[in-house]
Amino acid sequence: MALLEVKNLHVEFTTYGGIVHAVRGVDFSVDEGETLAIVGESGCGKSVTVQSIMGLIPMPPGRITQGTAHLRGHDIIQSKIIDGKDIRGNFVGMIFQDPMSSLNPTMTIGAQIAEPLEVHRGQSHRDAMRRATELLDMVQIPEAAKRARQYPFEFSGGMLQRSMIAMAIACEPLVLIADEPSTALDVTIQAQILDLVKSIQKETGMAIILITHDLGVVARLADTVSVMYAGEVMEAGSVDDVFYRSAHPYTLGLKEAMPTNQTGRSRQLKPIDGSPPDLFSPPTGCSYAARCPHTMEVCLENNPNAFPMQDGHQAKCWLHHEECDVVAEELHQA
Amino acid sequence: MLWYTTKRLIQGIITVWFIATATFWAMHQVPGDPFVGEKAVSPEVEANLKAKWGLDKPPLEQYWIFLTNMGQGDFGISFAQESRSVNDIILERFPVSAILGILAIVFAGLGGVLYGALTALYRNQWPDVLIILLVIIGISVPSFVFASVGQLLLVIINQIVGFTLLPVAGWGDISHMLVPALVLGLGTMAFLTRLMRSSMLEIVSADFIRTARSKGVPAAQVFSRHQLRNAVLPVITVLGPSVASITTGGFVVENIFGIPGLGQSFVLAVQQSDYGVIMGTTVFYGAFLVLMVIIVDLLYAWIDPRVRLE
Repeated sequence: MALLEVKNLHVEFTTYGGIVHAVRGVDFSVDEGETLAIVGESGCGKSVTVQSIMGLIPMPPGRITQGTAHLRGHDIIQSKIIDGKDIRGNFVGMIFQDPMSSLNPTMTIGAQIAEPLEVHRGQSHRDAMRRATELLDMVQIPEAAKRARQYPFEFSGGMLQRSMIAMAIACEPLVLIADEPSTALDVTIQAQILDLVKSIQKETGMAIILITHDLGVVARLADTVSVMYAGEVMEAGSVDDVFYRSAHPYTLGLKEAMPTNQTGRSRQLKPIDGSPPDLFSPPTGCSYAARCPHTMEVCLENNPNAFPMQDGHQAKCWLHHEECDVVAEELHQA
Repeated sequence: MLWYTTKRLIQGIITVWFIATATFWAMHQVPGDPFVGEKAVSPEVEANLKAKWGLDKPPLEQYWIFLTNMGQGDFGISFAQESRSVNDIILERFPVSAILGILAIVFAGLGGVLYGALTALYRNQWPDVLIILLVIIGISVPSFVFASVGQLLLVIINQIVGFTLLPVAGWGDISHMLVPALVLGLGTMAFLTRLMRSSMLEIVSADFIRTARSKGVPAAQVFSRHQLRNAVLPVITVLGPSVASITTGGFVVENIFGIPGLGQSFVLAVQQSDYGVIMGTTVFYGAFLVLMVIIVDLLYAWIDPRVRLE
């Protein structure tokens, strides 16, 4: 059994306009030392997926209607407590998109890093602060002892994100969930932060779930990828499989919409026409059918299951049904 | 920090000087003088008295004498109260007003934070609706109405229990203070409740609250360490000005409850054109309020590290 395994997760939000089906049957799993990237456009449900598992979405209006999530075999949807301890901050660390607003403005950086140690390890404030200074040093913040006594407004964005990482790994978690960790940072800082995360992973062997919409980041960091669209996983597999042997038209669309180093007419960016479906009333067929260049009759009527291919690579697309005559080669030519 | 405090104090002194000057000239424009009363004084006696207190001198000279005396901490004497010094009157009466005011501020501050937090926790449920209804009443009804209603209720309660549970008026021990202080603080409490509520609701969905929960911090600690401290900042901001409204409210409440505070003596002094007491009390209150605002600003910087005092 994998370290963290999520199966058939469904999350809904009750709003004035009706019920939003934000996550509709998501599966993924991640193992020790492995990095899983969840990619997809804004609003596709990537953040909601992990935040709902961690109990961080407000309930109500949010609600998990179906599905399971197991951390080392423990059901973490029913209870966030394993062996009398909250998994959050302890077995699972999280970092978020905007470090400027994700830290408490009236608490010192050191005290915020020390907090999980006090809560989960029962350390005294003094010991926890000493450890916080070491952690700041570990995430390469100069003059850590002095910095630990400063407040978030005295830090730059990149340093704040480093501090967030220090806070998330304080209790040596099994899983680090990074929810768009580099989106709010400028490009050079992005690279530093991602390298830092990767080097910490090498040292501690933790698993990483990386949520992003940046395919470049995925290529740099991830082992496996899940491509999400409209609350579903469209394609999943190893980075090489998903990038070089893309099996879903949506993944292909994303790749064509991504800028490359090549020049010339053939490398013009091709946007995906249309917009994602209304999640108040999701379509009965494939949710990508309305924008897909290969739409068939069956796509509009029935939502496909994930078709498995070799090495755990799978795609939720009717093109892979045995009766369909469009083969993978043609898909790539198109 | 030291330089900031010094700067603010100097600004404060200028403010107080301005208040003193404005009051002095306004007071001398008001018709009548300390000797216009029920008991007519003969012109000879009046001239004698005026000479004695320097009221026959030209206004500008009076103003100068008043300023130099004030600079030395001497507010002069009362004409109406047997030549008592104004300092003496302030010293006797201010502690009464101060106790009442402090008690009112404590009621208002604690009540505001508590009820505000409650309404936010029970948003759109019955405790929220009930408290907000009371808040609307608290903000819109002036304190003299609360004072009268409070007295009436006290009379009724005392009659029901058959003895004096809480006295209706007067001054003495803690039993005399509770109801006037509550009445005095009610408007401010209502205002602070509303402020605290919106501030709490804003903070509860802040990213750093989510971060705290993602660290596995227990809910009670998230509330006290992360939410409350940040939510209370706007409340602290308005505490300074609310000292002013409580002080001025004190003038009315002290009169209704027959409390021998500075407010009561001030109202009396205005009626009697008791120049010395009017000037002394006004300048004293002015200085007091300026000091309060400075203290609140320093307190704010202590709670919110982002506020740099330079």
